[in-house]
Amino acid sequence: MKFNICAAKPEDCKDIARMIMELAVYEKMPDQVKISYKELEKDGFGPNPFYQCLVAEVPEEHKSKDGHTKVGYALFFYTYSTWKGRTVYMEDLYVMPEYRGKGMGKALMATVAKVAKEQHCVRLQFSVLDWNKPSLDFYLSKGAEDLTAKEGWHFLRFHGIALDNLAQEAP
Amino acid sequence: MDFTIRAATLEDCKDISRMILELAEYEKVLDQVKITQRDLEQDGFSKNPFFHGIIAEVPEHHKSGEGHTKVGYSLYFYSYSSFKGRAVYMEDLYVMPEFRGKGIGKALMSKVSQLGLAAGCTQMNFTVLDWNKSSLDFYLKQGCWDVTSDLGYHCMRCEGDALEQLAQGDL
Repeated sequence: MKFNICAAKPEDCKDIARMIMELAVYEKMPDQVKISYKELEKDGFGPNPFYQCLVAEVPEEHKSKDGHTKVGYALFFYTYSTWKGRTVYMEDLYVMPEYRGKGMGKALMATVAKVAKEQHCVRLQFSVLDWNKPSLDFYLSKGAEDLTAKEGWHFLRFHGIALDNLAQEAP
Repeated sequence: MDFTIRAATLEDCKDISRMILELAEYEKVLDQVKITQRDLEQDGFSKNPFFHGIIAEVPEHHKSGEGHTKVGYSLYFYSYSSFKGRAVYMEDLYVMPEFRGKGIGKALMSKVSQLGLAAGCTQMNFTVLDWNKSSLDFYLKQGCWDVTSDLGYHCMRCEGDALEQLAQGDL
């Protein structure tokens, strides 16, 4: 299935907010979502954005049963390690269930890695709920390291050759 | 002991770099530090800084055994929760051993929380090495809760009333 990965625009915020809620439901914490598309617009698109976002979009003929063409996103921001320097933290990676298994998750993540490399970042970090085995397996298969080894959240990181390889897979 | 808390400037990078190495040594990972004073200058004081810093300084007559008046720092940056919105992440909090127990660490931390709240953040997050019991006890006493509950790193957060109170405790 054809798809595009591009930088989010302010008008994407309603779809991003929709997908954030879908992700929260998947992570079994829908009551934790406190922000709406308005905060996303304000916080992601001013002169000093708090985050960056990529959106995965499919052509009209592949729209979802609810009529959506924006079917995945990755939300990330720049962070800093006082040991290693510039890093990127990937806060969310999400693809709607009916669009999984088509390479969109990998493409989104690879594009984040690519952007990270362009900005001379040396790490891509993120966290995963430990019961989320499909996601954990996916990340480990891409060369991520599990830094926190038990129940609850896991901190994962891409660096070195694994990061280079992931960046090279960006569409 | 009298001390002041202020925003870090370019000229402070030499002392921040020194203290980063001291902190790394305390955390037993001195060989992991790859960034230099110059990296800090470029990454913290350019148009789109990757981090912000605050410095604790004592008067000349209280300088350290080696002649330093800059005796503590905190390095932080803004992050984002797709559920809760703007957040602040405290990457480092450090006070030179001979200046501990005088409220400097708490003042630095309060300042970060205050700046975070002023910027519209609803969370302050950070991590602690699990064997670092004195730091862990200090943070828990301030009203934080431990989000990741096992060996290795813990992700900590101050929010709600605890965050308000911490900010109000600033000098």
